[in-house]
Amino acid sequence: MSRAGFILDLDRCVGCGACVLACRMEKGWSDETPWRRIVPFNLDRVPGGPTWHFSVACHHCEDPACLRACPSGAYERRADGIVVLDGERCLGCRYCEMACPFGAPVFDERSGIMMKCDFCHERVDNGHSPACIAACPVGALIRLTDEDLEATSPASIPGFIDPAGCRPSLRFREPGGNLREKRLEQLRKVLEQ
Amino acid sequence: MEGDRVIRTVCPRNCYCTCGMLVTVREGRIVSIEGDPLNPATDGGVCLKGLSYVERISSPDRILTPLRRRLDGEGFDQIGWEEALDGITAGLKELRERHGPQAALFYEGSGNHGALSSLAEVFWNQYGGPTRAHGDLCWPAGLEASRLTYGDNLHNHPVLTRESRFILLWGHNPAETNVHQMRLILDARQQGASLAVIDPRSTDTTDAADIHLQPRPGTDGALALGIAAILEAEGLIDRSFLESTAVGVDPYLERARAFTPGRVAEITGVGVDEIRALAIRYGETRPALLIAGFGLQRHHQAGQTMRAVALLPALTGNIGVRGGGWQYANLASHGLRPPPLPPVPDRETRSFPTSRLGAALLELDDPPVRGAWFEKANPVSQHPRTDRVREALSRLDLLVVVDQFLTDTARMAHYVLPAKTLFEEEDLVTAYWHPYLQLRQKVLDPPGEVRPETEIWRDLCGRFGFDTHWFDGDRRELLRAMLPEGEGNLLERMESEPVVLKGTGEVAWSNRTFPTRSGKIEFRSEEAAELWGVDPLPSWEPLDEGSASTAAELWPLQLLTCKTRERIHSQFGNLDWIRGVDRPRRLDINPADARSRGLADGDRAVVWNDRGRVVIEVHLDHGLREGVVHVIEGRCREDDPWLNLLTDDGITDMNHGATFYECLVEVGRV
Repeated sequence: MSRAGFILDLDRCVGCGACVLACRMEKGWSDETPWRRIVPFNLDRVPGGPTWHFSVACHHCEDPACLRACPSGAYERRADGIVVLDGERCLGCRYCEMACPFGAPVFDERSGIMMKCDFCHERVDNGHSPACIAACPVGALIRLTDEDLEATSPASIPGFIDPAGCRPSLRFREPGGNLREKRLEQLRKVLEQ
Repeated sequence: MEGDRVIRTVCPRNCYCTCGMLVTVREGRIVSIEGDPLNPATDGGVCLKGLSYVERISSPDRILTPLRRRLDGEGFDQIGWEEALDGITAGLKELRERHGPQAALFYEGSGNHGALSSLAEVFWNQYGGPTRAHGDLCWPAGLEASRLTYGDNLHNHPVLTRESRFILLWGHNPAETNVHQMRLILDARQQGASLAVIDPRSTDTTDAADIHLQPRPGTDGALALGIAAILEAEGLIDRSFLESTAVGVDPYLERARAFTPGRVAEITGVGVDEIRALAIRYGETRPALLIAGFGLQRHHQAGQTMRAVALLPALTGNIGVRGGGWQYANLASHGLRPPPLPPVPDRETRSFPTSRLGAALLELDDPPVRGAWFEKANPVSQHPRTDRVREALSRLDLLVVVDQFLTDTARMAHYVLPAKTLFEEEDLVTAYWHPYLQLRQKVLDPPGEVRPETEIWRDLCGRFGFDTHWFDGDRRELLRAMLPEGEGNLLERMESEPVVLKGTGEVAWSNRTFPTRSGKIEFRSEEAAELWGVDPLPSWEPLDEGSASTAAELWPLQLLTCKTRERIHSQFGNLDWIRGVDRPRRLDINPADARSRGLADGDRAVVWNDRGRVVIEVHLDHGLREGVVHVIEGRCREDDPWLNLLTDDGITDMNHGATFYECLVEVGRV
């Protein structure tokens, strides 16, 4: 079985928000505890740079900072790579929140414990896609494949860094068209300046 | 989970996609919604609005009982149906006795599509025929232009977009307003197709484009004629196709030749080289698909503009071709028959163009309109000239609004009646992008005191002593009778899948039979001249309220109020789920236009013209054409701006549309 993770095709994602709502529908989180969100880049369309929508949740890292930081052993990385949080064991100390460089774990004031994207592991175990992937109307958010995992790293997007060395299971796919190359070139130039 | 029920239904919003949906019900509640994989156009997808129904249907803001405005005018009291319908009946009877039936307005919008809506006529025909509105706010000019040109509004099955080699989007932003079409465009692009977009704004759609032209709003007709002239000059016209299928080509080309590249560049503000490059690539690449949105037909010359644009696919021989075509509206699923109704009163219907709602209600006399009934509509937010609409509604003796939420219009009502949602009554829903007719199966009983509109009309008929037998019998049999003759058995199939009506082909016009007057594609249309008093050839003149008009000396900026992915006009923005991904209503303005007015990002600015003024936050948008400002339309939250204080209640040259985008403003510091 291939490792759990997301591929985001930045040329396809139009920032529509269906993934966020599907996640909310599936998991019932509130405004204060989003498991998935869209981080826009250059919505003002400053010339020279591309406009992108980063739909992000937990990256289900190979070496998760949350798991390393957790004093109560509440985190587990399953054999398929899904990083799950056991609410029963969570103390609500929020160390994971501080450790995760991507802001994936969120503190739920009501229950006093952390929450996080669990890759819809119940759905996955029943042969379905995570809710966000199933709902994406443009095919921008898809499940990680071994080829993509091997071929690229998230750092192929300039500006995406992995400061804690977690090795996220997130990839940005190279589409068949020529658009992404054009945009990456634009972005490299902007960053060089 | 065990015990879950999954029911197929369909989203009935006035939207291109008309998604089939699979709804999961657990213990009497809707717990999830997914797209229906059996609809190939939407391909198992819904959008964020479709997903948000899970919240919407049980929103604490939903109206669940009839409401009556308090005598002091502030707020409402919850009342029972008896009291509400007694009061409304007394009011409607008094209007009719004192002034005649036309003293009442019946207005139905498109907020919740379904074939059963027409049962309202059982009441109104027996009432004697109310005052009505005709035309609509959105797309009628383009529909008529398309019909005059090709004889009908049909286009290829959306999935054939994937087979296109060149896609030209004109005044269209499918990334926001037709997201499933965007997927097909991206698929085509991935297989090597080129994408060109004509839009004064930069959008998530233009981000994906190889070519992006940003003409001044209202100059699209000149651009289209200019492109036609370039196609001719470059030998890119498909003469052999036109010879047998079209009439009026030569006079049209003669007209087009007057639109030289230099002149068109001056009119549109787009460079000669850019126009030429687009024309040549469109003409050289086959198959090429031209998709026009509604954006370029929201001004006085809408119909003539759309005729000019609609002819380009014919000129290049892209009609009746897989992967090619002219795509505006596809009414292939619209072959339903009306239900049996009592006869229309034997008198002329009094009617006004819908965009004139406010003015008409203020001006109509003999009899004046003293009462109004609105359903599936929110004119106080969505009609132009909000000032006139508000004044007109505030003068009424009786205002009844049927809605799910307390909209701007409902807040002005004397009586608000709770409306069902799409899940609470079975109905048939047509589409205007894909060819499918779909059954909106009932999922739940209405909550609280909510009744379907059909039940409200039946009850009112009873109170008036009218014949109610039209409502009798099995509702499903009524729907079956509305299907085309011999296709009644489709109904059961529709429980599990979308259907197409007979005679609906995958490729529009593949038989090259065009139901126009001449039986051919009409480059020159005598019918257009007779019906609408326009030039029989497509033509272009500067807009009365455009960038080149004298009014532009006072108000030099063209205001566009475009649609967005998170809402359908004034719907959905009240939901928490939507608010989480919604964007603020800000004034998008090019930094150069902002700088010359001393405005910085985040400033409060006043936007004004001779019709009204609006205060709004400034957002610097580097991708927007200079001379154009933009705010997302659709008012459904208290802090949303009243944009339609600024827009005019004009009427399009054809088919009674509205002129929202013919709107000049000036912007300044507060």
